[in-house]
Amino acid sequence: MTVTAPRTTPEVTPPVDPRPAGLTAVRTRRTPRPDASHDTGVLISSAGLMIALICLWAATQLLWFGGVSEARDQRLLYDRLRSELAAATAPVGPVTPVGDPVALVTIPALGVQQVVVEGTASGDLLAGPGHQRNTVLPGQVGVSVVFGRAATYGAPFARIPELRVGDQINVTMAQGRRTFHVVDVRRAGDPLPHLLAAGAARLTLVTAEGSGRFGGVAPGRAVYVDAEATKGFPAPSGLPSAIPAPERVMAHDNGALPMLVLSLGLLLALTLGMVSARQRWSAVRVWVVASAPAIALAWFTTDVVMRLLPNLM
Amino acid sequence: MSSLRRRTAGLAAAALALGAGLAGTSAHASASPSRGGVLLAKPVHSSSWTGTKVLTRTFTAADGTTVSLPAHKVTVTVDRTQNLRSRERVRVSWKGAQPSAARASNPYGENGLLQEYPVVVMECRGLDDPQLPAKRQISPQTCWTGSVAERSQVTRSPGEATWSHDLFATPGEKGRLTGMVPFPDAQKCPGADTAGYYTHLTPYVAAKGKVYPACTAATMPPEAAVGAAFPPNEIAAFTDQNGRGSVQFEVRTDTENESLGCSHSVACSIVVIPIAGLSCDQPATPPSPVDAACRKGGQFLPGSSNFANQGVDQAVSPALWWSPSNWRNRFSIPITFGLPPDTCDVLDPRPPTGFYGSELLAEAALQWSPAYCLNKQRFKFQMNVMSDAAGWNLMETGGGPAAEVSSPHPKVVSDPVGFAPTAVTGFSIGYVIDKPGNKGEYTQLRLDPRLIAKLLTQSYLGSDLGRGHPGIGGNPLSLLSDPEFQKLNPGLSTNDTEAASTLLSLSIQSDVIKQLTDYIAHDKQAMAFVDGKPDPWGMKVNPSYRGLKLPRSEWPLLDTYVPKTQNDCRRQHPAVYFNELAAPVSTMSTIAESLLDAWPQIQTRCDFDLSTNSFKLGRIDPQPYGSRFMLGVVTLGDVARYGLRSAALETKSGTYVGPTKSSLSAAVRLAKQAHQLQPFSMDMRDLRSGHAYPGSMIVYTAARLQNLDKADATKVAQFIRVSTTQGQRPGSGNGQLPEGFLPIRDRGVTKKLFVSARQVATAVAAQKAPATPSGPPSQTPAGPPATPSGGDLPSDAPTDAAPSTQPSATPAKLPPSDTAAAPMPPTQALSSRLSKGLIPALLLLGLLGLGVSAASRFFVRPPRRSR
Repeated sequence: MTVTAPRTTPEVTPPVDPRPAGLTAVRTRRTPRPDASHDTGVLISSAGLMIALICLWAATQLLWFGGVSEARDQRLLYDRLRSELAAATAPVGPVTPVGDPVALVTIPALGVQQVVVEGTASGDLLAGPGHQRNTVLPGQVGVSVVFGRAATYGAPFARIPELRVGDQINVTMAQGRRTFHVVDVRRAGDPLPHLLAAGAARLTLVTAEGSGRFGGVAPGRAVYVDAEATKGFPAPSGLPSAIPAPERVMAHDNGALPMLVLSLGLLLALTLGMVSARQRWSAVRVWVVASAPAIALAWFTTDVVMRLLPNLM
Repeated sequence: MSSLRRRTAGLAAAALALGAGLAGTSAHASASPSRGGVLLAKPVHSSSWTGTKVLTRTFTAADGTTVSLPAHKVTVTVDRTQNLRSRERVRVSWKGAQPSAARASNPYGENGLLQEYPVVVMECRGLDDPQLPAKRQISPQTCWTGSVAERSQVTRSPGEATWSHDLFATPGEKGRLTGMVPFPDAQKCPGADTAGYYTHLTPYVAAKGKVYPACTAATMPPEAAVGAAFPPNEIAAFTDQNGRGSVQFEVRTDTENESLGCSHSVACSIVVIPIAGLSCDQPATPPSPVDAACRKGGQFLPGSSNFANQGVDQAVSPALWWSPSNWRNRFSIPITFGLPPDTCDVLDPRPPTGFYGSELLAEAALQWSPAYCLNKQRFKFQMNVMSDAAGWNLMETGGGPAAEVSSPHPKVVSDPVGFAPTAVTGFSIGYVIDKPGNKGEYTQLRLDPRLIAKLLTQSYLGSDLGRGHPGIGGNPLSLLSDPEFQKLNPGLSTNDTEAASTLLSLSIQSDVIKQLTDYIAHDKQAMAFVDGKPDPWGMKVNPSYRGLKLPRSEWPLLDTYVPKTQNDCRRQHPAVYFNELAAPVSTMSTIAESLLDAWPQIQTRCDFDLSTNSFKLGRIDPQPYGSRFMLGVVTLGDVARYGLRSAALETKSGTYVGPTKSSLSAAVRLAKQAHQLQPFSMDMRDLRSGHAYPGSMIVYTAARLQNLDKADATKVAQFIRVSTTQGQRPGSGNGQLPEGFLPIRDRGVTKKLFVSARQVATAVAAQKAPATPSGPPSQTPAGPPATPSGGDLPSDAPTDAAPSTQPSATPAKLPPSDTAAAPMPPTQALSSRLSKGLIPALLLLGLLGLGVSAASRFFVRPPRRSR
């Protein structure tokens, strides 16, 4: 976890806090020689606090704040897809800009309704389920593959392994509506589904799942749900032949590293700013001014870190 | 009296006349320079025509006896007569004729009238067959001429009316006003009927029956108007002092000349009249001036030129070709025309299936398409010429079933593509060059890569306007003053022209440009020149092109030099001068027609328009005969159709190779195929090593081997099979292979192409993924779909490869259960420890940190408080 190192810096300030609070008059005693045990204690305490802050913040954002963000993205995407469908400008493939809404997937059995975006890289899936770019769009003749997160950022596909054969999955896309019926839920070792009949459409939902006590928050293995419709919409030819490595199952996107460096640099700059501001202003004022940017930066940094993590978690 | 015979293949006389064409496979610089114009022409064409006649000029003496001048046994040969295309040029040659005199620099149309003893060649509607109804027979009235002077003699003094003493004329044809009954009135033909003067009219009867009296320019058919769309094609050709001569005669169809109206359904003839002079009837006593004029034998020496357009003796001039004495000497060669290009649109209501791509195939496609659309067993084939890259993209993205290309192009989608060799042909540097001093056409042009590089890089200055160009002001104005060119092609004029400073080329992307620039790129000297090293005579490359990367499939116009001049027109229209000279066009057929008319595309002509009081720039005039010089990049198909000449290109040092059947075969012999179904490659380094023609190219029908619509796949496979069998039979008929192409056969050097085409046809029809050794090893094609392998697309790779076509090949109707015969491969395990452990770890670590912090505070604080 490369995140830890710089995130320590904003919390350098708390050790400064107690001193002015207790010793306002005794400025001259700024350099008392505290004993070694005291020093070590402070160090351990603040290090522990730092680690706790970082880890808990990250976990909180992954599990809950991310969900808020995803829900907002979904609302915007839903509006956009709705207007595009109404205007008949919704994409039909074969090539759609990454991040555009392509279809609405509804799973009545689970109460899931999600707008599928184009692209399956880790960053694309922050906004909702993503459509694998070298497959036909959901509902078109052929096999369409849709990835969704299992635990983080709203966890849209968290419960799809619970689907049973015959359950409905409804898809609304540019060419119309199609109802799929689940054919199987595949895990490692299960046979691949049989060849598709002519004119049929298959929708393969991909997510991850865990097992054991923390299974809900430890999605380690890919799981596939195949659903089929007897009749699909015509698909345009000219699909791309391959997708980049970050868009494959359980892949991560190293392309986010430069962005991570930038956001960590910004965090460092904010910390130094706070330290220097603390020399002139009171602690309350510094916190009032700095907390909003600090939270925003932390949020942004965690989003960037997410892109470096496997796309299905 | 005359012996006319139609001969077919294998005739010695025809072989003699045309044998020069293939005498040498290639030509060595010193020994035998290669032939230009007749390259690729077969020695004896199956539809050639030969006829012999004995021509005699007879005078009747005052006492009624006849005196004959020495007879000429003239043999005329036409190299092809069947299924001609519009504007096709056929070779008419003759021997044994009276040597001509007073040679005109331009023998076409009325410019050729002031000659003595020429051979008149013209196109006439109808056949020379007395059995036919009069409407379908030829007569002077159905023979096309472009001007009045060639048809009629209007208001001649009695002393000039030699035709009125023609021995073979009927009494009715000897009168003062002849040629039309009733004779047109003064309103229609003002001045024609003037007392004391003779007039003979040869009216023109148009295809639709309208009669044009042809006494003034206003009473000629519309196609004969001044500045008509096409220059005259009738010619008064020159016979050399050995009695031989030849000419390339351009035939016109009803597309170009509606009044003439020749087409596949209206029979026409080429009429060749060697002018032997009028035969004269019994003179008056004492002989009148007209009797003497009728007996004149010419005032110029045989072989002489008539630069000043001086008058000639009418009795031996071509102006009286219609007189009975001359007309009876005619050779009339029946010709037939092929189906017009729009046949399929007219006769076949089915929607066409378009194949897109290379223009190299255009001439073949023209002959092939009627063999498809007129056969209900076949589909309606349509060739759409566009840049190779555009055709390829259409094919790849499903816009067209197949593309016609000459090289592999970058793939945009994953479907594998098969390349079926469809034609062996190529490009050529076509030219039309006249030798100075009225000596006829130059036929032995030789070019090396550096000269082509100089032309393409706009390094010749064109005219004095170019002298101000920074960096290259000292360069020659054109090829004609370039010592390198003069060394290769001695004996040409050294007067620079703008047209000689440029090579008319393509403005679009093309595999032809790629091959041409590859030819330059494989020559050290040419590349050194492009990279900035001056040639041995000090000529430098245009700085705008210095260091240009070659080969490339599109030639850029990079120059930016706008001449500074006092010329008002150029000041009003400042333009990049070298680009006006280069003026590339978008199709090679345009280039071929420009060469045919010797009409460069150079856009430097400047006219002053009085109505708008401004200047306008435009295309320069056609070049005058006798001083033509023009070069252009053309297809070998067009070279054969239009009878153009092809430059011989340097291969190894000192060897120049033109496009012949043997040099194309030599190139095919060098072609190698890396993988099945893939294109052959002809390395330019190999091509430049010997007797192979560097402009040889193989045109492939490229089609997807997967995901192609079943109906389209069947059509493409049919096209490949038909075009490599029936389509490779040389001939001019529907579905046959025109000249300019090397037939692909199941034997000899082209066998590998034939075999490859067959394999591709099978693979296209099957639409099954082949085991491509070059592609990623992701799929195994046997029976059930592939097992996923490697790390890519584990879940869906097997099924999304060919969702729509695979079911038809395998029992796909089976329910998706494990009881099916073919067990499906297992889903691959994919897991991530990071994904599994991250959140629990974060939570644990966070809680731990919280605990540590709280604990340490608890333990550390008390001492601080106690202090």
